[in-house]
Amino acid sequence: MSATAVITLVAVFVIVLGVSFVGRPRNSSTVDFYLAGQRVGMVTNSWAISGDYLSAASFLGVAAAVYVSGLDGAWYAVGFAAGFVPVLLFVAAPLRRFGEFSLADFLGRRLESESVRLGAAGIVQLVILCYVIPQSVGGGITWELLVGHGMFGFSPYVTGVLLSTAVIAVVVSFGGMRGTTWNQAVQFLLLLAALLWLGAMVIGDGFHVGDGAPLETPTDGTRQAGPTGETGQLSRIALVVTLALGTAGLPHVMNRYFTSPTGRAARTTTLWVLMLIGVFYALAVLLGTAARDIIPEAADEHPWLQQLTVDGVLRVPEQALPVLGRIYGGETGLGLIAAAALIAAMSTVAGLLLASAATMGHDIYERHLNPQATQRQAVRAGRITTLAAAGLAAALAVLMRPDSSAAATPSLVATMVTGAFALAGSSLSPVVVLAIWWRRMTAPAALAGMLTGGVLALTMFVAAGFMEPSRVQGLFSAPTLVAAPIAVAVTVAVARRTRPPASTDAAWLTMHGTAADRQAERLARLTVQQQREAGGRGRRET
Amino acid sequence: MSPDPEIQDTPAEVDAAFRTLRRIAVTYFLVFLGVLVAVPVLSMTVDWWTGSRLPGGLSPAFLAAAIGLYVVFAVIGLAAATLSSSVESRMLGGPLSGDRDADETETGPS
Repeated sequence: MSATAVITLVAVFVIVLGVSFVGRPRNSSTVDFYLAGQRVGMVTNSWAISGDYLSAASFLGVAAAVYVSGLDGAWYAVGFAAGFVPVLLFVAAPLRRFGEFSLADFLGRRLESESVRLGAAGIVQLVILCYVIPQSVGGGITWELLVGHGMFGFSPYVTGVLLSTAVIAVVVSFGGMRGTTWNQAVQFLLLLAALLWLGAMVIGDGFHVGDGAPLETPTDGTRQAGPTGETGQLSRIALVVTLALGTAGLPHVMNRYFTSPTGRAARTTTLWVLMLIGVFYALAVLLGTAARDIIPEAADEHPWLQQLTVDGVLRVPEQALPVLGRIYGGETGLGLIAAAALIAAMSTVAGLLLASAATMGHDIYERHLNPQATQRQAVRAGRITTLAAAGLAAALAVLMRPDSSAAATPSLVATMVTGAFALAGSSLSPVVVLAIWWRRMTAPAALAGMLTGGVLALTMFVAAGFMEPSRVQGLFSAPTLVAAPIAVAVTVAVARRTRPPASTDAAWLTMHGTAADRQAERLARLTVQQQREAGGRGRRET
Repeated sequence: MSPDPEIQDTPAEVDAAFRTLRRIAVTYFLVFLGVLVAVPVLSMTVDWWTGSRLPGGLSPAFLAAAIGLYVVFAVIGLAAATLSSSVESRMLGGPLSGDRDADETETGPS
């Protein structure tokens, strides 16, 4: 293990553990553990949501997709960024005003149905599992590339999976939402700093965007498919729709909105997120573009790069950013980018584990397994869930390791993340939006919609794995374009034949009224005023 | 709901605000969708969209996908968030907004 690798790993773990210790929960209440006391400011929350959202698939995958596919790869980033526009328009403010702990809690209370709560909790856990496994795989691959040695008798890959997942599980179960929030905020700033540094180096070196190969063509004649194997415009549109609609159903992202003090703050936070991730993805696209131009030239000068390339083209496109880091910053630059990749995976895993804990601890343990649970017992259930979910994800990541991590793993990461978006966007997003904006929404309709969207999305997605590349295969591999409209149609059809809950009018007042927001804002103003008066008295006395 | 009558919303107020907010959300969503779909449609139908080069050597298609759409998303988000929050302030919470107006009249613009 090189000195750079040691320093990088120590820095990552010190930052993660240190921030969690400083930001640990102040007491044992579930609101504090799951929701950081619902007092997370807009700027901090926007950083944390960005850190939560930007996984290894975004950090390494977007630049790799642009490196491989040029313009087509840029659409992968567009799909990720586009997801927050529907969230801002339709979900953020009403969801925060009505919900408390989780998406399942929101749907269960809005539709007065424990069946809906349990159904949503099941889908949430499935989405989380689909999302957390590729992040753990990413942790293993990064360790393999950065360290290259195993520990305790394990291979480098298994060591990376186990260590990265174990550290973040401890961080989440110890730090709760408060510690995780600060961790994700700091981690996003580190990610952005790494991209800004690399962007500055590339531009400072005289790179001009239009200098390289035409951006409408792939880097070589063999790689025609996009990041998840899609081909053709229809498939790309399907991918963008799947990513864009999936965001509103991602439990780890939506749960962060419950930490906002008001609905209006949740909406403004989303605006900040839109801007921040726009900068992030624009930088990632720039660097992917730069890699197409710089790496073939650098391959002649650097012997280590010749081992990673064939005719100047990277064998593993996800190595585009680490290679650029090493070209411009040597071992330190490589360490910085590798650390950022590890951080990207870990911050997303943290959010996913916390969302899993909130759903299992609140929606299942508190509501069904032990309704008499004390706050301390409920928090303990959440902590145990965190550790169990982390263990399951790590075990599955170890089992799913491809024989050749080099070429297959990146597409596994991108494919599984797309699968999680497809499931969320086809089963949860339509039902959540209809529950917010349609008075006639009913519990049986929600169950029918979630089931239809979920089963259809999963069936199409799995079937795509057995099909030859074609338009139909592309559509099946990003199935939300088909599954979500069908789920909406089934939901509406069932809702028209069933009765809305009696509490719909009261729910409307809470979701679309601003009374609670105004009360919270008034309390905040009073608190600030009292603090100012106390400060003024203190100064006069001294 | 808050027990304080001064910070309660009436069902009629909320319903009116809901309809206005829904109109805003749907309108901006259609704009968002139109812009999002326009870029690949232009790529399929208009040759100069991908073939021509702007100053800097980029095609309009790549520039739109690499930077332009993120700017559009941010502008849509900014406009929708500002308008939605403004509508909520004006249509909901009468007594409190009256207090705020009175406060602003007393203190004047700073």
